[in-house]
Amino acid sequence: MKNFKLFFLFSRNALRTTLQARSGVWFFMIGKICRFAFFFLMILLIFGKTKIVRGYSLPQMLVFYLTFNLIDTTAQILFREVYRFRYQVISGEFDLTLAKPFHPFVKILIGGVDFLDLLLLIPYLLLTLHFAWQTHAVTAFNLVAYFVLLFNSLLIATAFHIVVLALGILTTDVDHTIMIYRDLTGMARFPMQIYQEPLREIFTFIIPVGLMMTFPSQALFNLLKPSFFALAFLISFTMIFLSLRLWNAALKKYQSWGG
Amino acid sequence: MISIKNLTKIYRTPIRGKHFVTDLFNHHYKKITALDQVSFEIGQNELIGFIGPNGAGKTTTLKILSGILYPTSGDAKVLGFTPFDKKPAFLKQIGFVMGQRNQLIWDLPAVDTFVLNKEIYDVSDQDYQKNIDDLISILNCRDVIDKPVKTLSLGQRMKMELIATLLHRPKLIFFDEPTIGLDIFSQEAVRKFIKTYQKEFKSTIILTSHYLEDVKRLAKRLLIINQGKILYDDDLKTILEKFGGGKYVTVMLEKGVDQNLLTKIGAPITNQFPKVVYRVKRSDIPQTINLINQLLPYSDLTVEDERIEEIIKKLFGK
Amino acid sequence: MNKYLTIAAVTIKEYSAYRLSFILWRVRIVISVLVTFFLWNAVFDKQTHFAGYQKDTMLTYILVVNFVNSIVLGTKTAEIAGDINDGTIINRLLKPINFLSYYAYRDIGDKLLNLIFAVVEFFLIKTIFNITIVPVVNLPLALAFFATGTIISFFINLALSLIGFWTTEVWAPRFVFLTLVFFLAGSYFPLDLLPKFAYRLLLLTPFPYLVYFPVQIMLGKRLAWQEPLLFSCLWTAITYFIAITMWRRGNKSFSFWGR
Repeated sequence: MKNFKLFFLFSRNALRTTLQARSGVWFFMIGKICRFAFFFLMILLIFGKTKIVRGYSLPQMLVFYLTFNLIDTTAQILFREVYRFRYQVISGEFDLTLAKPFHPFVKILIGGVDFLDLLLLIPYLLLTLHFAWQTHAVTAFNLVAYFVLLFNSLLIATAFHIVVLALGILTTDVDHTIMIYRDLTGMARFPMQIYQEPLREIFTFIIPVGLMMTFPSQALFNLLKPSFFALAFLISFTMIFLSLRLWNAALKKYQSWGG
Repeated sequence: MISIKNLTKIYRTPIRGKHFVTDLFNHHYKKITALDQVSFEIGQNELIGFIGPNGAGKTTTLKILSGILYPTSGDAKVLGFTPFDKKPAFLKQIGFVMGQRNQLIWDLPAVDTFVLNKEIYDVSDQDYQKNIDDLISILNCRDVIDKPVKTLSLGQRMKMELIATLLHRPKLIFFDEPTIGLDIFSQEAVRKFIKTYQKEFKSTIILTSHYLEDVKRLAKRLLIINQGKILYDDDLKTILEKFGGGKYVTVMLEKGVDQNLLTKIGAPITNQFPKVVYRVKRSDIPQTINLINQLLPYSDLTVEDERIEEIIKKLFGK
Repeated sequence: MNKYLTIAAVTIKEYSAYRLSFILWRVRIVISVLVTFFLWNAVFDKQTHFAGYQKDTMLTYILVVNFVNSIVLGTKTAEIAGDINDGTIINRLLKPINFLSYYAYRDIGDKLLNLIFAVVEFFLIKTIFNITIVPVVNLPLALAFFATGTIISFFINLALSLIGFWTTEVWAPRFVFLTLVFFLAGSYFPLDLLPKFAYRLLLLTPFPYLVYFPVQIMLGKRLAWQEPLLFSCLWTAITYFIAITMWRRGNKSFSFWGR
């Protein structure tokens, strides 16, 4: 389909642009690896000494974090272009995108694949599988459930990013909406059990970052009730539906910049 | 081709009060009417000059016609489509050139953007090659298409922008202030290009500009808009006849004269020795010239048309 | 003097044009505080001591460190990089105001506003989640460390922006710095949890002196203050020197292009 070809072209251009900024590439890689390593080491440090936190062993805590990291990184790989959206709106580039004969999402949502993160995804995946194995909980069934829920989490991530795009059109005030998303999802680096009620309920089901980041791991450890499985998909599909409605409404309210 | 009836667009901008906390709860908005019941029709192969002061509604109109903005009320039909639906069949037939904003990928050579647009607009390999060659030869810029866009001058970037926007041979092209910020040579190049392009490919072109020179040279039909309302919609030539009341007679005096002599001829609108300027109705010209010949010692005498700029200023002043 | 106080006042006023943005920024800070807080809360679930810390001390540390963070590390100097890039810095330089003083006072305004919010948030969280705060001691000494920490942070951030004189790749080094700072300044855990050699190594860098030391002194945990204070002053001098040199060299070599 044409949209795939366009996606390929946009991605190729994104790669070329990345390769142009050579020194920047090294810094970013170092920064991302440091951030990952620091969190990882911190979990080792804290939970290596503490036997069980709210019922979870060290390998389990690691898997929670590593799963969060997988989903977070994959979302950043796909949706990196959303981070540049505000600039496109302010500069008027978005208008030119709107007037083109393809759905704007092909450009503003997935038109800037992040190849640096893509490289890092492989070691992240390997580490995750390694520690998952160490929890002695892995069965074929759990593993399938895990990956199915990972996919579901990406659906939720998509909905969140579409909301960010819609807000980028609706309010010109806020320039860090996407970072709010990152901070919210960051709450789910660890199992949601660490939070008191009602925070836990709110951030698991209402702003479903908990669902998004921790349900796959829970399924892997056989801790997820089947009803929650179904609920996970119900929520993700609802979110996609609502986010698309919001986007379409936002387009009607769009006022563009400049005269 | 384009049919607009009672098109209205109202913008809402938030008003900030003095109190930070109350502002969080009370949302006061200022309503700005950018377009007020605007109606006009544009047919095929027309070149329209669309002028008006800043904030008059020109860009808003273009953005509604291209589907970017949603009208508050009224009807807009372009090429048989409702623009806001943004159907691909519609979008493939239009092109939009915005002055000082471009769609070229900054870090890569322009040709990479061309290839991208080829795919976006489903241009066949043959058509692509032919259209690109045509455009490059009109613009005379073959050596520039392979250089990264960020290394090009503003004028060169504009040429690349024109190719990128027109390589799919749109039937309808919007030019929004295409010459703004360019040096005189580049402005001239863009004007020549638009004229040549329209003659050869017979597209419908709507051009907005602050520079009356653009409009005078290119447009046959003039649309004047101010504060969201259309003030004039007719041939360029006709505006002179309709609104151009008179001519300007400029007298360069050889030596100082008595003011009474000057006022005998008429009330001068400029009176700074040695220059005196009278505004004279066309029918009174022979009589006035005679008087000047009799009464004033002059070294030079000029009779000029009222400038379009003056006419338009008067229209906006109303 | 009035000139500069006006600068601080105007900086605060600027925020009133971006109210929503600022509020969301504070919300983000509160979220990140809560995440770390709840993590440690869970650690102390089944034990009263961990690595030499009591529950109340640790939780107080987490709260105080994260709120102080936003004041010490927050800066307006990041905008300098953008100004250099698009040439607007020329307007700044043509004014009869010392450039560095201008930004120092700009930061004072910025930090003052953030301080007010941080204090309010601190008490809100303390009350809502019923946290016992360990009383504060050694305030004058702590303030001395805060002062040097803030100045070090100012010069590092300034230097990061001044990189803009030589390259457009300004965000990448800043990204690395921000990543490093969040861990190495002790926002997620007290630095003395690290293995001894890592801790001693860290003491040679400027990071612990930004936030960690002032807070430790306030909590009465750090009794030997002479050597750290010395290092703190040393780093103040070093970062000042680096920033000033970059400023002088940059001004001379830069061609002040821009759009």
